[in-house]
Amino acid sequence: MTARALATRLVFVLVCLASPLAVEAHRLDEYLQATRLSVARDRIDLELDLTAGADVASAVFASIDTNHDGRISPAEGEAYAKRVLTSIVCSADGQSLPLTLVDRRFPELNEMKLGTGVIRLRGSAALPALAATGRHQIYYRNAHKPEIGAYLVNALIPTDNRIAIGHQQRDYAQHELMIEYEVRRDPLRSSLWWLLAGVAMAGVLYVTRLSRMPSRVPGNIDCA
Amino acid sequence: MKKLNVPLLWLAVTIPLAAGFMQRAGSPPAPSASNSSAATTSKVVAAANMFLATLSDAEKAKGTFAFSSSQRTGWSNLPTGAFQRNGLRFGDLAQQKKDAAFGLLAAALSRDGYQKVMNIMNGDEVLKNSNGGQTGGRQGGRGPAQSRGIQFGRDEYYMALLGTPSTTSPWMIQFGGHHLAINVTVAAGNQVMTPSLPAAQPAKYTLNGQTIRPLGNENDKGFALINALTAAQQKQAILNYEVKDLVLGPGEDGKVIQPEGILVSELNASQQAMLLDLAHEWVGILNDEGAAAKMAEIKANLPRTYFAWSGATKNGGLAYYRIQGPTLVIEYAPQQGDLDHIHTIYRDPTNDYGARLVTQ
Repeated sequence: MTARALATRLVFVLVCLASPLAVEAHRLDEYLQATRLSVARDRIDLELDLTAGADVASAVFASIDTNHDGRISPAEGEAYAKRVLTSIVCSADGQSLPLTLVDRRFPELNEMKLGTGVIRLRGSAALPALAATGRHQIYYRNAHKPEIGAYLVNALIPTDNRIAIGHQQRDYAQHELMIEYEVRRDPLRSSLWWLLAGVAMAGVLYVTRLSRMPSRVPGNIDCA
Repeated sequence: MKKLNVPLLWLAVTIPLAAGFMQRAGSPPAPSASNSSAATTSKVVAAANMFLATLSDAEKAKGTFAFSSSQRTGWSNLPTGAFQRNGLRFGDLAQQKKDAAFGLLAAALSRDGYQKVMNIMNGDEVLKNSNGGQTGGRQGGRGPAQSRGIQFGRDEYYMALLGTPSTTSPWMIQFGGHHLAINVTVAAGNQVMTPSLPAAQPAKYTLNGQTIRPLGNENDKGFALINALTAAQQKQAILNYEVKDLVLGPGEDGKVIQPEGILVSELNASQQAMLLDLAHEWVGILNDEGAAAKMAEIKANLPRTYFAWSGATKNGGLAYYRIQGPTLVIEYAPQQGDLDHIHTIYRDPTNDYGARLVTQ
């Protein structure tokens, strides 16, 4: 190593040692609760990812691991997931929607203690009047552990291109989200209507053309 | 019987049908490779082969994966100890091998992009040596991060190659560690750098007498843009809620959120140029040819691109922003109220991991 390279490295190390920086790679005392809502014609799917910061992870874990054996059993996981879902309010066009737990995955205690383990809950709610075209509104509110909660809530772009998300309104902390959306007519049905209209138009043109043809002279031979 | 007017009938039937089906949106076409892009691909392939040539068989086994393996999506911004990466750890490589790995990065990235990666890695070295890795900034910290198995520093970055370096078949360079994930897919003579995650903690440090801000341009250009908007434009762009983290961070592949904010078509030419310049901070990490192709695509999609902002509008304050278009998502998110800890993400919902090129 050259003297210059050595000096550079020394300066670098000294700078590093002198730097009075707060050191942590991820969130500490918050419980991040990120929700993504997916609107379909017949249901709302909900993805909820919960990440407890390192300083609150043990308390969150203890509230799930109710027998305190250091592991989250399937029953404890299910009970916690259902508890979370009961603290969520979801409604469509003013009508309350019961949420069903679809899936839940829990990290190990060690991952949670590092503040990086993500609890993944998946829920779903059936929508009433699923076939109705027109404008609709969904309301979502997450009130789980508000004393430590940090919230994100977003609507995913619908996979069904008949559904178009419109205006969205949240509160400042993203506890709640109101989504306006529109269900449009089935493009295939629209195409069929266009096809029928096209055939009808062709018929009208044909009849109109026939009516404008000069009368045949008797004895002429129709070659068609 | 009279002859039917066949062309007229054909038009009458097909035009309405086409009108009906035009309601369906098509996915963007895969870009074709230009000559300069193909030349760059050859250069990147040569650098990858040079790197592979320095490795022992055991190292090759550890650092190479099938292109379609789960390693492709197995990246993170988290440090070692919080996330276990696969691939070759820089701390375990001899200098010649490290140099070859850096040579590969230099071939795949632009000069500025390579420097940004170095600045992020050097920042993590600063982090490693600051306060002995203690949790800081808040009461009730749980003690040194290192005592909890968390490792920081330049040694804790990993290189992996997926697939066989080739100018024709798809393959991928994956390089990352704490606060950094660079995923470059090389396919059909093109390079794609989505998804990637450049982040920084500290956001500002001094090295060899120079002040380094790894994501300083991303911060300053973002604030410049929001302040270049009129009050009416700001009203549309600024979200009335706080955003405390990335929405589409690691693990959120394939998800597309409903865009919010102001449509870029409502910005004037100068403001649009500022937005493109801002986006280039991410796009331009990739080599110049790959970045130029991506920028052209972003420019073509500007009328359908949104810019959203949350937080302070005075530079030095806390603010989150997002640029979202049909083939682009960029998020900039300070973490937990800390200006010295920034996460960002760069995605293409239609072409992450070169999906459009690979399926050709």
